[in-house]
Amino acid sequence: MTDPPAASATVARKGAGPAVVTGTAALSAYGRGTEALLAGVLSGQPAFAPVQRFDVGRRRVRVAAAMPGQPTLPTELIRVVREACDDAGLGAADRARSTLFLAVHGDPRMARVPGGDRRRFGTEELAAAVAGGCGLAGPGTRSYTSGCVAASTATADAAAMISRGRADRIVVAAGYLVESDQFALFDAGRVLADDGQVRPFSAGRRGLLLGDGVGAVVVESGESARARRAPALARLAGWGRAGDAYHPCQPHPEGRGLARAVTAALQRAGIAAERLGYVNANGSGTRDADPAEASALRLALGDAVAAVPVSSTKSLHGQALEAAGVLELIVTLVAARKGMLPASAGFLGPDDACRLNLVVGEAVAATPRYAMSLNCAFGGANTALVLGLP
Amino acid sequence: MTGAAPIAPPGLAGLQAAAAAAGLAVPAAAAWPESDDDREVRPLAGFIVSTFSPLLAEVAERVLRRRGERPPGRVTALVIVTALGDVTSAAQVAEAVDAGRRVGPLLFFQAVPNAVAGYLAARWDITGPVACVGDIAAGLDVARLLIDDADADEALVVWVDVAVTDEDRDQAAAILAAAPE
Repeated sequence: MTDPPAASATVARKGAGPAVVTGTAALSAYGRGTEALLAGVLSGQPAFAPVQRFDVGRRRVRVAAAMPGQPTLPTELIRVVREACDDAGLGAADRARSTLFLAVHGDPRMARVPGGDRRRFGTEELAAAVAGGCGLAGPGTRSYTSGCVAASTATADAAAMISRGRADRIVVAAGYLVESDQFALFDAGRVLADDGQVRPFSAGRRGLLLGDGVGAVVVESGESARARRAPALARLAGWGRAGDAYHPCQPHPEGRGLARAVTAALQRAGIAAERLGYVNANGSGTRDADPAEASALRLALGDAVAAVPVSSTKSLHGQALEAAGVLELIVTLVAARKGMLPASAGFLGPDDACRLNLVVGEAVAATPRYAMSLNCAFGGANTALVLGLP
Repeated sequence: MTGAAPIAPPGLAGLQAAAAAAGLAVPAAAAWPESDDDREVRPLAGFIVSTFSPLLAEVAERVLRRRGERPPGRVTALVIVTALGDVTSAAQVAEAVDAGRRVGPLLFFQAVPNAVAGYLAARWDITGPVACVGDIAAGLDVARLLIDDADADEALVVWVDVAVTDEDRDQAAAILAAAPE
């Protein structure tokens, strides 16, 4: 059953056919694999710990959610993309016809090679290396670098291209491993939580914390999946992207851009807000962004906002920057399929500016038919992705 | 930063060719440098160290001024194309981190290419999606997709390539891309 369209834009915004997710893989501070990620998130125990990977002696904040050791991004990206392709049951010939969309901040080596060598370490070169290392040879491999909406934008574009028949299968991969330069920048910007906890939508929240995230999702047309007899883990039922037109690094206080992204995603999914069973919010845990996001949800969901469960898994696995959109989409997908809604960690008490139906403390049992993942970035960039669960 | 200024940097030709390949019209275009007068790009308040954001803003605003008044209700997307991002700022941060020096807080606010997009969006009321990709063909493909997908009526596509060596020079170009009339 499909609800009536919410607006006339629905028709223009729907493509010809469904885009489905047939494979996922992830790495996080909870370990390798989506099972470790799900178990960690549902445990309610945040993965934050003192940073060992590099020197943080001069930093104001010294914790992050990082896996042990010194993982390297190109290697982990290739490993995760291969795992996602395995999960989707893609053989070598299928992979050779698949395109890679890669979301990254950049090649971590670029800033430390001599100036004349830097052009060999661009994001397109990294995308080509990952695609080559995984046997993905479809046309149009590309890189996305739009900060914290890079991965979700890549996913929305993949879904749009597939639903419009412009591609059969796109592997969307994304990666961020906590490293010294972004850590120093976020510390200098005084946005890291100096109490070592991320507290989305909570009174007393003090900021975000960075976390490792490398993830990949195989997105393909329903027809392609059926032809391979590959089960769809979920449908990418809706997507929306919109800008705030407000400020280089502050969100619109009323969350206007995010509200339009959410509305567009619901229109594409063809559902009323009441049918959303879960929202994995951007929920950065920062002073200004959380009230803006709560306002956006109130604007876009209307009266339904009182009933739709909302949490932010960034309070558990951390902020994975350019990889956040894919990591959080995977969390949303595997949790919903498990019949559980993750709870935000670190909740101290309600903040009247962030009034939402928050899931806090312990994960709750529920089987949402539709779940949404939200991301926001500098530049007022916002995305909303809606999953339809089988 | 030496030598005679070219009239049309390769990025502009690349953007125009990619727009044609994507089936998009180009009602306005601009580049840096466009003449010998384009020597030092105007600084942009709040952005330091690097010419990346000032250059991006300069070529984007040239296009927006040249296109004239935007029809009411028309939604513009902003697509940034950059192979290396703000490599100047990134190198400065790496150097400071390796030397154990303090990193300036303003560098945080320009750590991603879409920060300057927010400056442009606020100044010109650009409410469409903001995306950053690594190559020109992808940028025009994203522009076409956003227009077809009804998330935007047109896209301002901006390419920036800042110098990585003393022999290099800063270059930038921008086009307004729209479905043909």
